[in-house]
Amino acid sequence: MAGPLPLRAEGVSFRYAGAARPALRDLQFRVDAGCVLLVVGPSGSGKSTVARAIAGLVPREFPGEWSGSIRVGDLDVSSATPADAAARVGILFQDPASQLVMDRAEDDVAFGLENRAWRLTSMRARVPEALAEAGLGGFERRRGTQLSGGEQQRLALAGVEAPFPSVLVLDEPTANLDPAGAVALFARLATLRAARRSTIVLVEHRADLAWPLADLVLALDGQGSPIDFGAPADVQVRSGARLEHEGIWLPSPGLAPGSEDNPGGGADSGGVPAAVDAPVIVEAHDLRFEYQRGVAAVRDLHLQIRTGERVALVGPNGSGKSTVLRLFAGLLRPTAGSVALGGLDPARIAPPRLAGLAGFVFQDPELGFLADTVGEEIAIGLDAAGVAAAAELMERLGMPLAAFGDRSPYRLSGGEQRRLSVATALARRPSLLVLDEPTFGQDRRGWEAMAEIIDGLASDGSAMIAATHDERFAARVAAGAGGRRLEMADGWIVA
Amino acid sequence: MLTPADIGVAQAGSLLGQTSPLVKLGLALAWLIGLLFTLDPGPPAILALAAILAGLTLGGIPPSRLAQAFAPLSAVALGVGLANLLFSASNADPAATELARVGPLRLTTEAALIAGGLAARVFAIVSVGAVFAQTTDPARLVDALVQQGRAPARFAYGALAAYQALPRLADDLATIRQARRIRGLRGGWHPRLFVSLLVRAIRHADQLALAMDARAFGSGPRSTFRPISWGWRDLAVGAGGLAVLGAALLR
Repeated sequence: MAGPLPLRAEGVSFRYAGAARPALRDLQFRVDAGCVLLVVGPSGSGKSTVARAIAGLVPREFPGEWSGSIRVGDLDVSSATPADAAARVGILFQDPASQLVMDRAEDDVAFGLENRAWRLTSMRARVPEALAEAGLGGFERRRGTQLSGGEQQRLALAGVEAPFPSVLVLDEPTANLDPAGAVALFARLATLRAARRSTIVLVEHRADLAWPLADLVLALDGQGSPIDFGAPADVQVRSGARLEHEGIWLPSPGLAPGSEDNPGGGADSGGVPAAVDAPVIVEAHDLRFEYQRGVAAVRDLHLQIRTGERVALVGPNGSGKSTVLRLFAGLLRPTAGSVALGGLDPARIAPPRLAGLAGFVFQDPELGFLADTVGEEIAIGLDAAGVAAAAELMERLGMPLAAFGDRSPYRLSGGEQRRLSVATALARRPSLLVLDEPTFGQDRRGWEAMAEIIDGLASDGSAMIAATHDERFAARVAAGAGGRRLEMADGWIVA
Repeated sequence: MLTPADIGVAQAGSLLGQTSPLVKLGLALAWLIGLLFTLDPGPPAILALAAILAGLTLGGIPPSRLAQAFAPLSAVALGVGLANLLFSASNADPAATELARVGPLRLTTEAALIAGGLAARVFAIVSVGAVFAQTTDPARLVDALVQQGRAPARFAYGALAAYQALPRLADDLATIRQARRIRGLRGGWHPRLFVSLLVRAIRHADQLALAMDARAFGSGPRSTFRPISWGWRDLAVGAGGLAVLGAALLR
């Protein structure tokens, strides 16, 4: 066991090969052994680049112009061999599924130990221990692919932690998790911090969970330059306004109403019901869907959504939210029961007509892109007037076509991809807008832009349904005119 | 088809499950090569039957599971046989012995023999493959390739990780097709689907390679968490399998 090591960055700047501007500019920071450093910044501020650089992956695996140094103890990780860097630093990435190498949980935890040539007896002792520490005791023979997202991420964390790294880097570890999964992961991080076994670097948007854990905060601006570095309370006092201006999430003074403390609160405190005589856009009766025969992903669903209504659909991963959205938009055919979109069976509507009735923003927007440039992507299926309206929409979303039109949709940041996807979904003024996790990984500015656009929908005479893990967003949707909050569990609407 | 076969405890603990995957792989290869030396329907039929019986008894595979594993491909075997029976050139050969007449079709013994031979051969390949897949954990196969077969670890574990990503890629493809529909594009296959899928696959592979490197993969000598050594089972299954092959061919 190596024990925690101090971390020091001096004059770190980096520009990815082919990028127009640097990702990081002149970073300096020092973290004492065993402390927790929280890195915050708006989308595209280079937070992930900092994480990769501390793990020695930038510049080794990502070509570009590098200057400065990052030291872990006395080792300069930016020029160290992969073996030396990996011996000291462990890194957990955002997407749990693309970090699991082996089939079974215990084999995956052992993978990092095998690579360091641990002895078999030591591995047999350490693997179950690391699993138990991550709250996965008894999961030894389970398959990684059959765990929930939250369990997968804790399994990946167990694998990264097993060899006792001196520095543990976590790059947005909860971005893909539901609230329960995020809380469980943070509980584990709190234990790790108390043990002071590793120095921890955390990149995270969830301010309410992350700030209380931090000993130090490094704030970056949209250009990758440091805004401030210091103790969380000092940073908030010194630079709170600046951080807010940059669109960085800050911890809320008391938790916002309708947040985790008050689940279900939004349902009855919901805003004004939509006019009962407004035209019905979606109507579902006895709706049921099975991916595997006999296993219902959605069951006994009755729902009516009228023009001007906005529905926030919440519930844990796997509760059937995404399936409901796909059934409403005619992307899946119900196993039993019926659903109507504008009075028609959505699964049978011809695609060109369907596109005018419903717009869909997928959880992973990249899967929905059809063109090579942002400009072409926006213009698909639109006439000149539609293109002009779409261009105006992009402007409102902070992505003017003048700057973004020629870029590849695949090379945008995650937050930008999602906003582009919203623009393509709204461009045809569909009567139903369907959003799957619209605020995932958005900084505050992106979040507010999204909320404003949804506010505008009601007056346009469309309806909206959004599946979300973001309680703040669900509360905002439910509070407005025509807003509702529905909760799902195990395929049922339970509240 | 894309989900890794989730082999049960009974299968993994059985004689075949405990045999080195390399022995099974070698044996399967020997059987298939052996079949090249005969056109008779007999030997492949015997080998197919032997594989199924071994799978059920020595492999602990539940019959319903085995049936599920090879039902779709057995249909292919029947199709191959039927096509060759109906459309064989020897049916038109006046010198060939007539076996039966179905309406305007004349079926000959020669055609029936060839058709039976081909069908039995496809059936044998399918049975051997199904029994292998149903008694072999993918991770154990990779361990054996690396530890016993001296395959390069980077290649072998990389392939295992990629194999695990297949179900996810299938899900991605479904979503890509849904995304096209909701944007007003008609269904069916389009080159763009492959572009989108390729972007995903490459991105996933990059991310995985990065995660593996960050976990010190390939940084020096490795140890192993699941040591495999040769044992009596390997000898018994190897010798037994070759004996069956010999008996089938020399019968």
